[in-house]
Amino acid sequence: MDLQIALLLSQDGIVNGSIYALLALALVLVFAVTRVIFIPQGEFVAYGALTLAAFQAGKTPGTLWLLLGAGVLVALIDTVIAVRAGAPGRLKRIALWDLALPAVVAGLVLGLQPATLPLAAQVALALAVVVPLGPMLYRLAYQPLAEASVLVLLIVSVAVHLALVGLGLLFFGAEGSRTTPFSEAQFNLGTLTVNGQTLWVLGASCVLIVALALFFGRTLYGKALRATAINRVGARLMGISTSMAGKLSFTLAAGIGALSGILIAPITTIYYDTGFLVGLKGFVAAIIAGLASYPLAAAGAILVGLLESFSSFWASAFKEVIVFTLIIPVLLWRSLTSHHVEEEE
Amino acid sequence: MRIKSLVAALLSTGAVSLAYADITVGVLVSATGPAASLGIPEKNTFALMPTTIAGEKVKYIVLDDASDTTTAVKNTRKLITEDKVDVIIGSTITPNSLAMVDIAAEAETPMISMAASARIVDPVDAKRRWVFKTPQNDVQMSTAITEHMGNNNVKTVAFIGFSDAYGEGWWQEFSKIAEVRKIKMVASERYNRADTSVTGQVLKIMSTNPDAVLIAGSGTPAALPQKTLKEKGYKGKIYQTHGVANNDFLRVCGKDCEGTFLPAGPVLVATQLPDSNPVKKSALDYIGKYEKAHGAGSVSTFGAHAWDAGLLLANAAPAALKKGKPGSKAFRTALRDALEQTKNLNAAHGVFNMTPSDHLGLDQRSRVMVKIEGGKWVLQK
Amino acid sequence: MMQRLPLIVFIAVLALGPVVLPEFYVTLLNYIGMYSIVAVGLVLLTGVGGLTSFGQAAFVGLGAYATGYLTTAFAVSPWLTLLIGLAVTAVVALILGFLTLRLSGHYLPLGTIAWGISLYFLFGNLEFLGGHTGLTGIPVLEFFGLKLDTGRSFYYLIWLALLGAVFATQNLLDSREGRAIRALKGGGLMAEAMGVDTARTKIVIFLIAALYASVSGWLYAHLQRFVNPTPFGLHIGIEYLFMAVVGGAAHVWGALVGAGVITVLKQWLQDLLPKVFGQSGNFEVIFFGILLILVLQRARDGLWPWLARLVPVKAGQRAVADAAPLPRREMPVVGAVLLEVKNARKQFGGLVANNDMNLTVKAGEVMALIGPNGAGKSTMFNCISGVDPVTSGEIAFLGERIETLASRDIARRGMGRTFQHVRLLPTMSVLENVAIGAHLRGGKGVLPAALHLERAEEARLLAEAKRQLERVGLGEHLFDEAGSLPLGQQRILEIARALAADPCLLLLDEPAAGLRYLEKQALAELLRKLRSEGMGILLVEHDMDFVMGLADRVVVMEFGEKISEGLPEEVQKDPVVLEAYLGGVE
Repeated sequence: MDLQIALLLSQDGIVNGSIYALLALALVLVFAVTRVIFIPQGEFVAYGALTLAAFQAGKTPGTLWLLLGAGVLVALIDTVIAVRAGAPGRLKRIALWDLALPAVVAGLVLGLQPATLPLAAQVALALAVVVPLGPMLYRLAYQPLAEASVLVLLIVSVAVHLALVGLGLLFFGAEGSRTTPFSEAQFNLGTLTVNGQTLWVLGASCVLIVALALFFGRTLYGKALRATAINRVGARLMGISTSMAGKLSFTLAAGIGALSGILIAPITTIYYDTGFLVGLKGFVAAIIAGLASYPLAAAGAILVGLLESFSSFWASAFKEVIVFTLIIPVLLWRSLTSHHVEEEE
Repeated sequence: MRIKSLVAALLSTGAVSLAYADITVGVLVSATGPAASLGIPEKNTFALMPTTIAGEKVKYIVLDDASDTTTAVKNTRKLITEDKVDVIIGSTITPNSLAMVDIAAEAETPMISMAASARIVDPVDAKRRWVFKTPQNDVQMSTAITEHMGNNNVKTVAFIGFSDAYGEGWWQEFSKIAEVRKIKMVASERYNRADTSVTGQVLKIMSTNPDAVLIAGSGTPAALPQKTLKEKGYKGKIYQTHGVANNDFLRVCGKDCEGTFLPAGPVLVATQLPDSNPVKKSALDYIGKYEKAHGAGSVSTFGAHAWDAGLLLANAAPAALKKGKPGSKAFRTALRDALEQTKNLNAAHGVFNMTPSDHLGLDQRSRVMVKIEGGKWVLQK
Repeated sequence: MMQRLPLIVFIAVLALGPVVLPEFYVTLLNYIGMYSIVAVGLVLLTGVGGLTSFGQAAFVGLGAYATGYLTTAFAVSPWLTLLIGLAVTAVVALILGFLTLRLSGHYLPLGTIAWGISLYFLFGNLEFLGGHTGLTGIPVLEFFGLKLDTGRSFYYLIWLALLGAVFATQNLLDSREGRAIRALKGGGLMAEAMGVDTARTKIVIFLIAALYASVSGWLYAHLQRFVNPTPFGLHIGIEYLFMAVVGGAAHVWGALVGAGVITVLKQWLQDLLPKVFGQSGNFEVIFFGILLILVLQRARDGLWPWLARLVPVKAGQRAVADAAPLPRREMPVVGAVLLEVKNARKQFGGLVANNDMNLTVKAGEVMALIGPNGAGKSTMFNCISGVDPVTSGEIAFLGERIETLASRDIARRGMGRTFQHVRLLPTMSVLENVAIGAHLRGGKGVLPAALHLERAEEARLLAEAKRQLERVGLGEHLFDEAGSLPLGQQRILEIARALAADPCLLLLDEPAAGLRYLEKQALAELLRKLRSEGMGILLVEHDMDFVMGLADRVVVMEFGEKISEGLPEEVQKDPVVLEAYLGGVE
């Protein structure tokens, strides 16, 4: 291995790592706010990428029907609850978010012929289809179990993951897709060739990470989420609703997931089940950060990316063995250095 | 059509009087899980199969094994004991088929596998007596590639394949034959279907500077190494396997796949075959039926393996019907015997000639070399 | 007998199964049996012990590959490979357990995912194990010349193994070690203070669960006679966990229910869905996922508790048999110094909770530690008992330095304690909660417990627990759930638990809080009696009447420091104390 190869491998590791970093941030966020270990995060990656690919291929993605269906279901459940509780005031909100919003998105998708639109509009439309699925998912699967133990929530996550992967196969088929790159440009840095899409991935990751930092540091909603993450009961006493915080964090997670998928879809082929392993590696990074620290999660993600890249060079057949075995000592170190109080469940 | 004439012949001999029970065909495909891209066209193909054979109604029970061995075994037992099938077609992948061999033999039910490895039917022993298969052996495909490499002055080859039974089977067969042909294997790399990057493997391959690279993957995931090779500036020849022979692969790989060579069943380039080729007519017949149901360009060579299994069955069943009623042991035994005696059956992937020691029965007519040119499969003469 | 009736009926039905059922149902039951064996291990590990593992499928793989490889490559007898497989699994589980069980909380499930994936790819990439394609030709099991080559004959072997695992697990849980295991989830700190080595207990249940999985793998290999990596991957590991959770992760029989429901449901969906949707394959997993979510939303504790209610037999109240009392510790002579704290300091980051604390407790006296809220009294308790060690200073117990010892080692030396915030296992009976206190007075390990060969010792432990409960006045509540007692009585229960350890020094943290007047008097009477027997008592209490009527000496703390010490009447007159309590007297 010479320097050239080492550089190329590092570049590859950092690009993959930056995607893992985004996912890791979303996982940390969701866990901190809702205590859900959000395994279906990976499915949003696949849904985002494949929805965009379907637009570009001139097809109507199945995720659109999922959005409409989930919206109706949420609306039904919430309407029943609102009527029983004698709070018809909530109905307007329900109609707006669960029925009108998906209907508008569907109208745009069916009316605009997305294949003919510029890329930015396609991306926006794909996000509009996939991101609202996040809060709806929270409402349907997790909200009724908001007080359950982490283990139960984890199992629900795995069940949701299974259902979403099954739906993914139904919507997009077994074969993968790629999308048009954001940029075809190539840059030469000494002996390294960097293509435009790679820079897009890195740039977007950095922008998102900074945006998240600003969101949590500066905005009211961001502060509310942080409050919920630190103390759920306290936050509720201060008038921050747990379910609002849950939906918000799921919206962010779905958005980050879908955007990650859209970013990497031009570099690699995305399949209906790509998300799981990608998500798992993001999860590894998040765990390295103790499911708590955002900068550490990003660093952990880069570490995972590099580890993967170099081990695929040295012993590709044993890549996963190496990556996942080397994670254990890291976990051990994290576990031993972090002070922990016994959790009461 | 052969079947029609057979039906007519049977009708005239009064074999119809035997018709009480339907012929029950148990089908096991990997329609979900990692092998889904192979299993789905197979599953679709069963909907196109004849609903009567020799005047008998045929019932197809199609189950999914999710590319998982345990499920395959469980479902095979279900098909045999619950549905009392007369024959089992499946599974899509090698490990599942290997696991099913014992069960089929134990229940004395003929089985036609749609998986590639020669180990499924070779050697034909007491158990494998009951087992047949339709896809070409990896070794036949490997030979085609090494021949092509030999003719094109390729001396060193790097291999990158799936980290599963498919990649492993190819590596074993290909490296063996390559050695015989004095082709030097300079690298052997693995990757996963769902990997988002193979940069490490590709850099390793390029550091060995091979004349050609063989990519052993199936469906669209086989495009990733090829795209990465091009991106990193690899200039040598690239070979794929017949696993990529569907239009999704061309769609995803795009211009990076120009000039790629692969061995494939003749069904892939049926329209380009000379009219004298016995396979042409039967292959076009299948393509016509499949594309009518699923749209132009939707056909894949994997569905054709299922189609061939159906043809084998339709060809053998009339003889078996004379010896026993569907649902009886006599029928199953006779069906096995008849399958073993298949002679000159023109199918989508070749011409089948079974013998007691060869339960595949395909010869060199079952494979052609194909080049990707202008986003199309082009037959190499 | 009536309680055992459902079980007897169940076993009779099971035994009849292969005789009457069609072949396919026997096959299904075989798989259910093999899955259940793994799920029983998960009940022990995850449901009871609180350690979530997604990696059990890898252990199944170890058992399967051990026999698959050795029987095909070296023609070793399958019965021998069972033992070899178990040994291999034990070694791997010990290594993995040593590495990953130290992981706390959510690190653990991830750790199990990590090695689950690693082992899966290892199976697939080792050429001698047949690679991804797999190993064929695994021999048929023979049992004294009887060939187990059909599903029907194999059935009995599988279900015998499963029933063995179920009974061994039930026996284990209903024992001294079992109480320690049940204390892991939510009571680890308390268990350590009662002398349980929780790290060891975790390894033990991890090992047991791994060994069960290995047995299941061995059975799988010889039933299937083919092994390849797919049945040992992560998604199957997830499925095992599903089975345990759906069935009811805290109940041994729930494992069977879970394995049964999931296996049958999958089969049923596979048949039903194509009829409804006209297309097979893709819908199953979607429905499966959604159904699971619904089960968890509607029946979070799984199906077993719900099913158990349908069975008309109630678990009877067991009587505690009389048994010879346990040997007692030799008490120090009255007046001997039991505990001596010198210059103890406890710091949490920048916050000094205890500073320069000095106190002594002698045998046969009640020493009271009082002070306003937040004065650092409970912190002092935690330092003394080793729950949260001092930052600096010396603590000697019976003349031996203990400030660096773990709480369980301090408990072993004869110090018992209660907690300010009660630490009970609310779903366990009062009797069993107290029996945890007697943990160190028994010595029988896991294996005798699993086989119920330790009944004599167990009877003595339970009898001791009962004796202590009667002594503190909770004799009426032996079989009630501890969580159902009012808070005051829960505190009393903690005293009984501490007494069951036969301590010579008792640390009581606000024992009288929540008690009514008469109950307080009874408690005071009890403590006087204990004192007269030579026990030293260190008491934290807010009820001044209670303290002053009982204590021989008093130490007063404020802001982490000792501000006064002396006889009760002296302390009551000390102006420093009055100022601390009343905010100053002008």
